Amino acid sequence: MINGISNLLSSSQLANIAQNTTQSVAIETTLKSIGRPGFILVDKDIDADTKQYAAAKEFLYQATCLGIYMALIVPIFKKGGFKLAKNHIFKNTEGFEHFENVKEYMHYRKLASNPSVKNRLSTLDKEIYSENILVKDKYDDTLRKELEKEKPNKFDSVKGAVELSNIIGSVLGLAILAPQVSHAFIHPALKFLGLEDKNKKNNTQQAQQIAKPQQNSPKQQLNKIV
Amino acid sequence: MSIINSIKETCRSLGKNNKPTYVVMAIAAVKGICRPAFTMMDKTEDPKTKKYTALREGLTEAIAIPAYWGCGELAAKLANHVFKDEALAKRAEKNLMFLGVCTAALVVIPGLCSAVIKPIMDKLGLKAPVKGEKPQQQVQQPEQAQAVLNTPQQFKKPIQQKDVYKPTMNGYMARPNMSGLRVGGL
Repeated sequence: MINGISNLLSSSQLANIAQNTTQSVAIETTLKSIGRPGFILVDKDIDADTKQYAAAKEFLYQATCLGIYMALIVPIFKKGGFKLAKNHIFKNTEGFEHFENVKEYMHYRKLASNPSVKNRLSTLDKEIYSENILVKDKYDDTLRKELEKEKPNKFDSVKGAVELSNIIGSVLGLAILAPQVSHAFIHPALKFLGLEDKNKKNNTQQAQQIAKPQQNSPKQQLNKIV
Repeated sequence: MSIINSIKETCRSLGKNNKPTYVVMAIAAVKGICRPAFTMMDKTEDPKTKKYTALREGLTEAIAIPAYWGCGELAAKLANHVFKDEALAKRAEKNLMFLGVCTAALVVIPGLCSAVIKPIMDKLGLKAPVKGEKPQQQVQQPEQAQAVLNTPQQFKKPIQQKDVYKPTMNGYMARPNMSGLRVGGL
């Protein structure tokens, strides 16, 4: 048990996820979409219908956020940010000149993170990029030489440019776009699930209960007083 | 030119260490500005409700920012106590910070919001109506009762149910302990 926890805490895979904006945001949103409705359903102070409605609403909101994030933000900002940085900000310097796209860079970074030079090179020799093309054929001499070093250059500027564009995309997508889209999507979805009508019915009953004493006729009011 | 240089510097720094707290704090900050602004721009809503909702949303995000930072940093500090090997401790620091942020989003922020927001709103004098609150019935004297009989009967308009969703103060407060859940925006 303790070994499992310490393995998890020192896991290199989890460290890579923690350093990757898109993966960490996606995991947090998934956790929220399960955890928050779960907490609502566990709450004993709320009546069953309200719980169901609130849990469904929270789940749909988080699911919409995740959907928008994965479908729009990740591909647009990841690829767009890399191109912008390569062609305009860094102008093919500081490592950008060695890579055509984000996929190529991420593959190199993964290899460079392997502590064993031998494992690194044997993986590079085996991996196939596409039909009849090996990954090592796509790498230029500088990259191959770097991989032979004990501590290869990971070209942090490239990684930073990708992360910065991902952060900007996450902020725009999750703080501005997702609430607007979810507002338009959640209520029809709740209606489709039959939860919106139930909640409306409850609200109407509540409102009628409040309005009832005022609807009594003057004669009834007099009887009540006397 | 200096803008380009500062972007380059930010990229280098993010490439070396991209803390999981950066993105969640940035999202919370933008949400804290944009959500109240969107709420205040809504022309269909009652001004009192708008003010209440906007302030509540702003407060939620204002709580979320230090909560994300605090939980992340506190969790990361545990790494040096748990792992003595420097390389492992460095990796664990990143992992623990990520786990701290997840805990903040799932447990700490909703808990803090439900504990802190209501007293603050009450202190600011923005009390929301309590769920199912009935109008107070005044005790009437028999003379007043005769006057009631003489007045013409008044009919209350039936409550209309519109198809368009229109949030109301009552609806918003129907789930007081849940309205602070959508925090951090993720």
